[in-house]
Amino acid sequence: MWQKWFSVKGKSLFSIAFSLHRLTGVVLTIYLCMHLAYLTSIRMGKEVFESFIATTVTPQFLIFDILLVLAGIYHGVNGLRLILHEFGLTYESRKSILYVSVAIVLIVWLIASYRMYTFVMGV
Amino acid sequence: MANEINKEEMHTKRVLEPLAWIFQLISGLILTVLVTFHFYETHFVSHEAMEYELVVSRLSSLGYKIMYALLVFFVAFHAFNGVRAILLDTNFGAKYPQVVNSLCFLAFLIAFGYGSLLLLVF
Amino acid sequence: MDVEFRIRRFDGEKSYWQTFNIPVKRGMTVLEGLYYIKENLDGSLTFRASCRMAICGSCAVKINGKPRLACETQILEIGNSLEVEPLDNFKVIKDLVTDFEGFFKKHEAVKPYLIRKDDNYEEPVELIQSPKELHAYYDFTLCVKCGACYSVCPAAATRDDYLGPAAITAAYRFNADSRDEGEKIRLALVCGDNGVWRCHFAAECSEVCPKQIDPAKAVQKIRFKSAIETIKSIFR
Repeated sequence: MWQKWFSVKGKSLFSIAFSLHRLTGVVLTIYLCMHLAYLTSIRMGKEVFESFIATTVTPQFLIFDILLVLAGIYHGVNGLRLILHEFGLTYESRKSILYVSVAIVLIVWLIASYRMYTFVMGV
Repeated sequence: MANEINKEEMHTKRVLEPLAWIFQLISGLILTVLVTFHFYETHFVSHEAMEYELVVSRLSSLGYKIMYALLVFFVAFHAFNGVRAILLDTNFGAKYPQVVNSLCFLAFLIAFGYGSLLLLVF
Repeated sequence: MDVEFRIRRFDGEKSYWQTFNIPVKRGMTVLEGLYYIKENLDGSLTFRASCRMAICGSCAVKINGKPRLACETQILEIGNSLEVEPLDNFKVIKDLVTDFEGFFKKHEAVKPYLIRKDDNYEEPVELIQSPKELHAYYDFTLCVKCGACYSVCPAAATRDDYLGPAAITAAYRFNADSRDEGEKIRLALVCGDNGVWRCHFAAECSEVCPKQIDPAKAVQKIRFKSAIETIKSIFR
């Protein structure tokens, strides 16, 4: 049933973009809930919050963070592309816009990942 | 004409979906700005951005309070309206649209309320 | 040259793959290949076809994973091994024949005909239309109702009562027609939760349409229109 949203055999890039948009959307919603739960630690005082930060802002967690940022950037950039088309604009050049969006996603992701890497490593 | 449709019934039934759709697009546009700013603030500005004192001082300033309130409002709406759209894409959603709509609205309220709690404490 | 046809068959109970090797000449279509199998190798092979010239829309099947009209797809353009399957998102009746009843019902549901207040069949009058007015909707009249768009739509895959790209395109085609007066009625019909809001612009329908009529574009246009109309109706 729902697996059909993610079946990409024989499909074009547009369908893959749709599948990824849906997947990243669900991932980001789950992350939102986790993030809100995490923030409870701020209300519980300095020690609790800092122990949370000490466990999550670490090299071990960096890979998840980087993947999460990829999901966020993809959902955002692809979302802008969809908004453009859903408002009835630039429909005819949808193929080139898709390629440009993917390029933007990759560039922004690489920059953000590098910055996060230096941030966590304390460089 | 035989094609006439009961206007009153039509109106109440049809308003939710178009408004949710438009608002999903608008909240998406706003979120690209707000989330980018939020991420920039916590990861790009300084290494100390996530220290307790700095987090609390941000949470205490009015400007940040407004920004975070908007962020949590739009993100909660966008997320759970998205979930609603996903559920309505299924036969389950077709059968129980009211259940899907109310549950997702409830989830939105809870997420927004819980997020705002943090802003009220400081 | 011999070409391998792998066909996904269904006998009412079980689904299975069967392979046929058939001699192919340059220019031979997949439909001719299917006829060759039916006439020479296995008379029980069932498929739907009629016009052989891409205007009836009967013979849409999935060829190597992509829906196409069997009658306008040349075998050697695809290669020397083919996989032929029935369309997705439709109930298979037998072999390559799928159940189109629901698809046509949805098409009918959007009132795909001119709606006018002055219908008068006793004394019909000519309805004048400029070339510009014709071109506003002409492309969308080319739909052959083959179901290719519906078979790849991710929303139609999981929700049975979704109107689907073809029906919504038909609604758009008549709404864009200057002779038509039924726009409000059709907007109301596609505006339900089984209508335009289920589209998330996977745009696969436009990619596979054998007539290149861009159903996704029609869906976006009619959706935008119905959203605007709804907002206007709140302030009315």
